[in-house]
Amino acid sequence: MNIKASSITLGTRLKIRSMIQMAAEPIPFFWPMRTFIHHNPLHGLEDMPFAEAAAKGAELFHGRTFLSRKIYQKYLTEGEINPSAIAAVIRSFTTSCQQINGIDLNKWLMSLLKETEQPFTLTNTLTNADDIHAILNGQSIRPANNIDPVKLESTLCRVLLEQRPIYEAVDMLFGTDIGNELDELLIRTCLDFFDEGQSAWEMPGREQGFFAAWSGVAKRNPRFFLQGFHINKILDAADTPEEIIAFAMQKFGIPEEKWMHYFTLELSRLHGWVGFIRWRSSAKHYYWSDQYPADLIDFMAIRLTLALALLNSRKLKRFAHTEHDLREAIHGNTIEIYLRHELYSKAVLPEMAFRIERAIQRGNKEIIEAIFDEYIATRRDHEARYQATYLQRLAELADNRDELMRLSVEDIAGLQAIIADFEKQEGMLWLRAMESGVIGQLLNGLVPKHSESESESRRPFAQAMFCIDIRSERIRRHLESMGDYQTFGIAGFFGVPVGFMPHGKGSETHLCPVIITPKNLVLEVSAAEYQDITAITTLEKAMHELKESVLAPFVTVEAIGLLFGFDMVGKTLMPHTYNRWRRHLYEARPLTRLLLDKLSRHQADSILRAVQRAIIEKAVEREFGIEPEKITDDITRDIREAALGRQHGSNLFANALGLDDKAINNFISRLQKDYRINKDFSHMQIEQLGRIGFTLDEQVTYVGTALRMIGLLENFSRFVLVVGHGSTSENNPYESALDCGACGGNHGLISGRVLAQMANKQQVRRALRRQHDIDIPDDTWFIPAFHNTTTDELHMHDLELIPPSHLIYIDRLRNGLTAASRLSAHERIPELIPDENRPGPAKAFNLAQRNSMDWSQVRPEWGLSKNTCFVIGRRSLTKEFALDGRAFLHSYDYRTDPRRRLLENILTGPLVVGQWINMEHYFSVVDNERFGSGSKVNHNIAGRFGVMTGNISDLRTGLPSQTVLKDGLPYHRPIRLITVIEAPIGHARQAIEGVVAVKKLVHNGWLRMIVIDPDTGNASIFATGDWRDIKLPINESSLSEELLAS
Amino acid sequence: MDTKIFLLAGVFLPLFPFSIIFNALFERLSHPILRGIMLLFWPLIGIYLLQMAQRPPPDWIIAWASATAILYGFRLISMRDVGLWIGFLGTSAWALLWVGFNANIDHSRLYLSALGFSTPLIMLLILAAHIKVRFGAAYTYLYGGLAITTPRLSGVLVFTVLAATAAPIFPAFFIMLYNITLSAPAVIIAMLTGWLLWAWAGARLLQGLIVGPQAGGQIKDISRKLAWLYILLLNAMVLSGLYLPGKWL
Repeated sequence: MNIKASSITLGTRLKIRSMIQMAAEPIPFFWPMRTFIHHNPLHGLEDMPFAEAAAKGAELFHGRTFLSRKIYQKYLTEGEINPSAIAAVIRSFTTSCQQINGIDLNKWLMSLLKETEQPFTLTNTLTNADDIHAILNGQSIRPANNIDPVKLESTLCRVLLEQRPIYEAVDMLFGTDIGNELDELLIRTCLDFFDEGQSAWEMPGREQGFFAAWSGVAKRNPRFFLQGFHINKILDAADTPEEIIAFAMQKFGIPEEKWMHYFTLELSRLHGWVGFIRWRSSAKHYYWSDQYPADLIDFMAIRLTLALALLNSRKLKRFAHTEHDLREAIHGNTIEIYLRHELYSKAVLPEMAFRIERAIQRGNKEIIEAIFDEYIATRRDHEARYQATYLQRLAELADNRDELMRLSVEDIAGLQAIIADFEKQEGMLWLRAMESGVIGQLLNGLVPKHSESESESRRPFAQAMFCIDIRSERIRRHLESMGDYQTFGIAGFFGVPVGFMPHGKGSETHLCPVIITPKNLVLEVSAAEYQDITAITTLEKAMHELKESVLAPFVTVEAIGLLFGFDMVGKTLMPHTYNRWRRHLYEARPLTRLLLDKLSRHQADSILRAVQRAIIEKAVEREFGIEPEKITDDITRDIREAALGRQHGSNLFANALGLDDKAINNFISRLQKDYRINKDFSHMQIEQLGRIGFTLDEQVTYVGTALRMIGLLENFSRFVLVVGHGSTSENNPYESALDCGACGGNHGLISGRVLAQMANKQQVRRALRRQHDIDIPDDTWFIPAFHNTTTDELHMHDLELIPPSHLIYIDRLRNGLTAASRLSAHERIPELIPDENRPGPAKAFNLAQRNSMDWSQVRPEWGLSKNTCFVIGRRSLTKEFALDGRAFLHSYDYRTDPRRRLLENILTGPLVVGQWINMEHYFSVVDNERFGSGSKVNHNIAGRFGVMTGNISDLRTGLPSQTVLKDGLPYHRPIRLITVIEAPIGHARQAIEGVVAVKKLVHNGWLRMIVIDPDTGNASIFATGDWRDIKLPINESSLSEELLAS
Repeated sequence: MDTKIFLLAGVFLPLFPFSIIFNALFERLSHPILRGIMLLFWPLIGIYLLQMAQRPPPDWIIAWASATAILYGFRLISMRDVGLWIGFLGTSAWALLWVGFNANIDHSRLYLSALGFSTPLIMLLILAAHIKVRFGAAYTYLYGGLAITTPRLSGVLVFTVLAATAAPIFPAFFIMLYNITLSAPAVIIAMLTGWLLWAWAGARLLQGLIVGPQAGGQIKDISRKLAWLYILLLNAMVLSGLYLPGKWL
């Protein structure tokens, strides 16, 4: 059937579009690597309870959503999981089970968890309780007379036609590799189209859109022709992507009611690319997306075209490749199809694989039937023996051997069902047991103080606002240990969403969580004298351009390859010394200031005027070869007025150059068109300029909110450090994953500079005093600082702005920061670089610096690994408890937030981002290949926006193994984020209920929520669907019982 | 008389279709010891028979042998049963021994060449037996990830496959080089084609066993002692390869 444009109605087109959008919902966004955003790989399933979503995610993405039993057993042996917690989860499970004669289910299931590695339950098993009973009683199993052909056929139809795309079914029946070939072709297309400047040669016609550009190239691709792909025939059958999709789906014979499910199956095969395209098509103002548009409809149309072409290609045409054909084949040759599926899906018993393969190849029906009977009997026997032996082992461990022998066939069937159900829930049971231990330790370690007991009368030497990031916990602890320091935790953008345009750059970076779009723009302007580009920078640019060209590398390798050799030796053998030396070759970064205040209309006009005058002067010089000094201000003004349409022609200019009207009009129209000096563009520029800076009210609000949020309303010290953080590493595509998530995967220094600059303004302070009742003393100075999480360095900025009266204290402050850095490195480095001789603080500090400069280092730091909990409360709650860099700490004093607005803000922003980070780590650990990104060693940059494994793969979306695994075993402990709020229980619960997104996360079990009431000193935890009160301190064993009892 | 000898030798230094006899027998005798004996003595019988011929084999037999080597090299690529893979590789390699007769070289060198081809195959047979004990069959693309589950066995397997497919610096490599020096250009092309097919098939065999996700269940690796023994044997092969065919070249 040929579908042409006329045969698809607008309604059908819209229906296909919406079906694809909905089918892609379970696949999370993937942001470009430049601003790595931690995200929950199952974000699209967060509407479901965690356990259900985990099962659904495992099925959809073919990944594992819990650790293996073996690793949980290791935790149990090492005491990370409390045995009493495991006993409790088993008891909570068995209470709802039917009792089996004489069998101690608790003991059996405990033995199963503790002593066995392999699951008892077998998928698509042929055996039954009868067989197991026979084996247990020393009898042989009865011949295979119970294979119901109808059941077998329906199982095959379900497995082959409902759970996978058509070509995967063909692969499973004929041993072809269409799925992988299709993925490879599509990935190559994606690499060509989405390239962001990595390739020397661009794909032609990209501006027309993904599908149009691809079809233009595909129609002329000789490789497709040689391989016998009839791409042209398919593309000629329809015009738009939606029509192609409809055409292909009809060719595959998929009924329309199944299309959406089928689209999900297709999209989940390359979820990295799909996540990127999803994000890209929804990103506003993304340069590459604006230039080269693409969406999932294009992606699906290309995928289905290729799939159809592959299935109809010369070498594969003989195989059944429509749903109808496959259904017929299953119905007509059930036995052969079953054997084929067993063989090519790798489920076959290895000892019979060769004979089955040969029988299938020969195609003799009698031989196939004979081998089918033999195979069924053998497999049944295998499976029955496996399960019988398993039961015997469990019985021995539980001292129930005689009881097992006395079981009837019905009892064994019941036991099978109970164990199968238990194994289905096993992951959740382990997880809950593991979490209960951590919750117990955390609750016993936290020190809730009565609301009235916290009053600090002594003025600290310095106060510091750090990001809530878990890596701040260590350095905060060590800084506090140095003396009169007080620290606070706040989201690393300090509550000020900023669009930032750095000095010398033309694009804007958003410094805030990705769920926020900043309204205000801050410009960085140089405060230094004009600097010429240094020789080394010029040389580097030239080298870069040589590398980018197609032919130049052949020559340059011969000519100057040796220079790179020296560079390589330096970087490899002496990274620390060499990189420090190399830095001297570059000019120091110029002194800059932030343009932070809102421009008045007059200022904006003036800036625009200055820019346009400069452009006009350049244009005159270029078009007429006239030097700038010959153009007076009056002439420029005259030309500008003409270009903006406020007057006709430019007499002054015409007279000065002796030009006629035509030449003048041509020049004016060029100015309007090419140089964009016209009314509309000026209007837009004025609007853009309106985004620059913050009004005084905005500044007051942001500073006031930030201070109120962390409870810093009085007793200000002389110095208040506003510490942003980031990382430095070499040769690391994941560098931004180590930067500040609250700043959209960027360094947090600018956000610190913005807040400090605002808070240091006298007008802001006066308004704060007046409107917010926050009295910042005149001698308090906010200093922006940068915490390098790779090296632990704390570096202060904008020191030239500090009042002279404060400079005398700067050395003391600097010493305190340096000591904290060294102590933090001393605590952290042994976990990063295992060494028998634990290095002292100075050596540890040096090792950390070396790590940040070593280009062969795949693990410059552990990043956010081991994140466990999120504490929202006063510092007194955690001050006495070393959390080993595992906690997000957000300062919050409920006494300053009677209407719960601040708490709701914390829950909406920082907590949600923390939960994304936690889930990203969770799933990257439990299945690093599928949800993580595998080993960094095999990674290659794809199109400058992502990484792939090897030269062709799906975009790797999660964290690399080096970030979450150590020696092949989890370094990060995969548990759900344990959130603790210090506030009266009613206050906190109302805030949680008030934020829908968080309420959903809590109720669906995507994070564990605990509220500690400082007045009563007791806690309330949300578990098994309800809030439960817990008296503190607690006994960990009793906690398990309380938390896990259902 | 010579023609009859050649035809009879064509069973032992297999020429298609006589090669079917060896492969059918090899498939039927599934016990590793019996298979090992076959691998060891089968080509030696062929060489012994050829010694009785009064004249070197005619060129058309060399062409036939080369075609047989290519045919079995080609079949090797899609063969997933490791046992039969060994049989096919033996068939393909031994067929090339005809080249030596054609060039009238010393018979002792022919015996050594046959051993140079057969020894790694016998070792591969033993390793296949190890795999069979662990998985029920030595069969590719069913359970992968041996590199993770049984790293010692995998390491030895990789080098043994390299030895069997005449990779440098194993004896078969030098034997192939030596045979190339004795052959006419057309035969050289055929030999190189066969050689390329072995390498391809070897890579596929390793890919189907060594790499990929880990197979389920607890799989026991070979002992350190046994691994060292295999390493010793591989080293002995390397040394003998460097010494003997090195001398001929």
